[in-house]
Amino acid sequence: MKKTNGLIAASVLAAGVMLGSAPVSAATECIAPSNPGGGWDFTCRSIGRILGDLGLVDGTVQVTNKAGGVGAVTFAYVAAERNDDPDLIVATSTVGITQIAQGRYPAPLETMRYAAMLGADVGVIAVDDESPLQSIDDLMAAIKADPSAVVTAGSSSAGGWDHIRLLLLAQAGGFEDLKALRWVQFDGGSDAVTQMMGGQIDVVSTDLGEIAGFVESGDIRILAALSDDPIPAFPDIPTAKSQGYDVTGYNWRGLYIPGGVSDETYDGWVERLKTVYDSAEWQDAATGSGLVPIWRGGSEFEAYVREQEKAMADVSRNIGIIE
Amino acid sequence: MGVAIFVIAALYLWQARGFQANFGDILGPSVFPTMIGLIALVLSASLVIAPSGSVSWPEPRRIARQAAALAVMGLYVLFLGQLGFPIATFGLIAALAVLMGGPVPQSLAVGAALSLGLFVLFDRLLGLPLDLLGSWFG
Amino acid sequence: METLSLLGHGFSVAVSPLNLLLLVSGCFAGTLIGAMPGLGPVNGVAILIPLTFAFGFDPTSSLILLSAVYYGCMYGGRISSILLNIPGDEPAVMTTLDGYPMAQKGQASDALAISGVASFIGATLATIGLTLFAPLLARAAIHFGPADYFALYCMAFATIGGIAGVDPRKTLLSALIGLMIATIGLDPGTGIPRYTFNSFELYDGVDAIVALVGLFAISEILILLEKRLVQANDGLRVRFRMPRWSVIRHTLPASGRASVIGFLAGILPGAGASLGSVMSYTIEKQISNARNTFGKGDPRGVAAPESGNNAASGGALIPMLSLGVPGSGTTAVMLAMLITLNVQPGPLLFEKQPDLVWGLVASLYMANFTLLILNIPMIGIFIRILTVPTWALLPVVVAISFVGVYSISNSHFDLYLMIGFGLLGYVFRKLDITLVPMVLGLLLGIDMENNLRRALSISGGDYSILVASPIAVTLYALTALFLAVSVWLSLRDRRRQADPAHQGGALD
Repeated sequence: MKKTNGLIAASVLAAGVMLGSAPVSAATECIAPSNPGGGWDFTCRSIGRILGDLGLVDGTVQVTNKAGGVGAVTFAYVAAERNDDPDLIVATSTVGITQIAQGRYPAPLETMRYAAMLGADVGVIAVDDESPLQSIDDLMAAIKADPSAVVTAGSSSAGGWDHIRLLLLAQAGGFEDLKALRWVQFDGGSDAVTQMMGGQIDVVSTDLGEIAGFVESGDIRILAALSDDPIPAFPDIPTAKSQGYDVTGYNWRGLYIPGGVSDETYDGWVERLKTVYDSAEWQDAATGSGLVPIWRGGSEFEAYVREQEKAMADVSRNIGIIE
Repeated sequence: MGVAIFVIAALYLWQARGFQANFGDILGPSVFPTMIGLIALVLSASLVIAPSGSVSWPEPRRIARQAAALAVMGLYVLFLGQLGFPIATFGLIAALAVLMGGPVPQSLAVGAALSLGLFVLFDRLLGLPLDLLGSWFG
Repeated sequence: METLSLLGHGFSVAVSPLNLLLLVSGCFAGTLIGAMPGLGPVNGVAILIPLTFAFGFDPTSSLILLSAVYYGCMYGGRISSILLNIPGDEPAVMTTLDGYPMAQKGQASDALAISGVASFIGATLATIGLTLFAPLLARAAIHFGPADYFALYCMAFATIGGIAGVDPRKTLLSALIGLMIATIGLDPGTGIPRYTFNSFELYDGVDAIVALVGLFAISEILILLEKRLVQANDGLRVRFRMPRWSVIRHTLPASGRASVIGFLAGILPGAGASLGSVMSYTIEKQISNARNTFGKGDPRGVAAPESGNNAASGGALIPMLSLGVPGSGTTAVMLAMLITLNVQPGPLLFEKQPDLVWGLVASLYMANFTLLILNIPMIGIFIRILTVPTWALLPVVVAISFVGVYSISNSHFDLYLMIGFGLLGYVFRKLDITLVPMVLGLLLGIDMENNLRRALSISGGDYSILVASPIAVTLYALTALFLAVSVWLSLRDRRRQADPAHQGGALD
């Protein structure tokens, strides 16, 4: 019993000392709707850090991970419990909008207000360095000759963004029997690439950022970047457009805020995020992790998101993912 | 008990048939659950036919105590948001300790000390935010 | 030789007063975090990432701190497994099988010392492997395709049957229920929800830590509540005893074998520490269980999974660093951390940032030594946990688990789920169904299914792909051999048990 009492006394003492020396608690919160380590987590942690460093918020930004349903759990939670919280931002991306477009979230797009996107990962189509395929034309010819001979893969499930981008490209190339194309899902882009290097699969469609190291080392070859212009870090990679296929596939990274906040709050966030975007810290953090810094904010961004949702829904219906 | 698992496995299998994606991989979402559900069905059936071991369930008074412990934990989760972290945790530790036969004064003391200690450890030292006061007091 | 000079340079980077301080405090904090049920290496590293930013450490110092925490957690997880029969984190599940019986026999200090030494051996051998062969091994591992992974998981589950328990049917059933729980959530292949009952909370599946804490910690309270109170209040009366070197020495060969197995499992991306500790344990049991002592407190049953999981977590760094593919949840978090530090792991990391890589490797060696030195004297402290009366200890353990899980997931649902798993665990324990296989099913199930489906997606539905690669065929052959030996051994045991002279040292 003596030991227990000693333990209690020590804890009380420690508690007293530490409550006295409490650090400033964080007023602003950024929710990453994923576990630590993903793209949304990166968005929250890097933007949160820069918001704090630049003194744009009081104290520091508290990053909270709330994973579930590819963002659906957080979406439902914010709508139900934090709908007018002016100090809350939530990470999202093209992947989240795809989920909404396919009806996998509990509430429609308009439930939230979309503040800004600060960067984008570019989708690429990659093959092993020893693959006979040299261009998108080669790839399309191989697919048309025998769809089952080309095994494709990426980091999303069938019908996810990695898969849709590839199917859009195939459609643009005049290939219609989309279900005949074999798709294998892996947990990440680099998982898929290493399996391709091991000879298990033939083509990978995913974001460039995660697999850039393999491009630099020469282990894989990029057939096309799904961007409007060549990627600054890899100017030699041809775009799909330059090869005559009018397809782009960005995975942008941005933030939404609760739908019930005032216009002033919304404008305030857009302004602060613009300051983050213009800072050298963000430009470094973004390029360092393979993102291309791109800014869209305020009403321009909201219009862009609406348009993207509609496009995504159309594509999903066209290729038979949703009814 | 074999029966219970058998029923669960059967329900699991029955649900598995319903999984269909109009777009997806070749095997689809229902084959693997069907495989493991079938094996579970066979195994649990064999336990119904040839049971092994015997179970002695505790007497009603003890079951009441176990139910009380589960209720305490359930109430803790239910009222965590309202009471705030330290008060709720104090209640949890103290009530469980008393249920487990700890002397009441010491149980209260352990609850008080550790609920504060844990709050400090997680909220202050590790930087994982916890509600201090909750919606009723905050 | 070039490697050695690079490593020497790494040490010179790592040895600075600040870094040494970070190393020791990281090891200490990691051990404590790992020992707390509900907080494992994943959370430990995730929690400390913001702290490293807050203090503005440079990348090398941050890496040293976080790898010390990483290894510290792997050491710490075993403590509550051995003392309380409650695994501190996923890879420590196997350690409960022989560690807790040892503690019940009054050999808690031996068990803690053995696990400390075994962890050291596993982690050090893995770090040596990392130093010498990292790029080479990473290149070999990529030839492991989905069909081969599926064969590997089949092997793991086939060997689980021999883990423990009275009735092998119940052991297998327990694993199957774990697999069934693993299928809850969004199906990774198609994105449709399975067994979620329209609850978004279940879309990401059941978190292994939630299941683990519920199954082991909460069920323990229920078990104790059914005993007479006086009985339940008897804290174990143990006194600290110097660990016996003779016992430790006896486990060294087991640690060596387990390290190799664990390391190999760790190199394969996706398999990770849990698989490493399972395979190490089951294989060691097959080799050394001549007197049927495993599961009843055999020191080698403590050494094998501990060496195995530590070697695996060291091995998992290889695909993480040289391919950018995380081999486990923890390495996924470390990968995220590296990326936030503007370090991009991948095939060029060793060439482009040798300072950082070799600084990391050097800090791993140092963390290992620090942990060994730190842990042996700490045995005396840990052992005192057992003198705390049960009525105080278990409620506190449950409270820590609740807070640990809640502070990470911010989900009330997870806490309810944990209570539910407590009840499930209690019922299963009453029914003599071992819980360990269930946890393993939950941990490995999704990967097993995914790889089966990946393999069949590649082949277009042709099942022959499952036996098309020589690796898969070899693994199936090994599994068959393993099962054959098991059956032969159990037949022999049965004959021995029929012999009236045989004394069974049965423990509960």
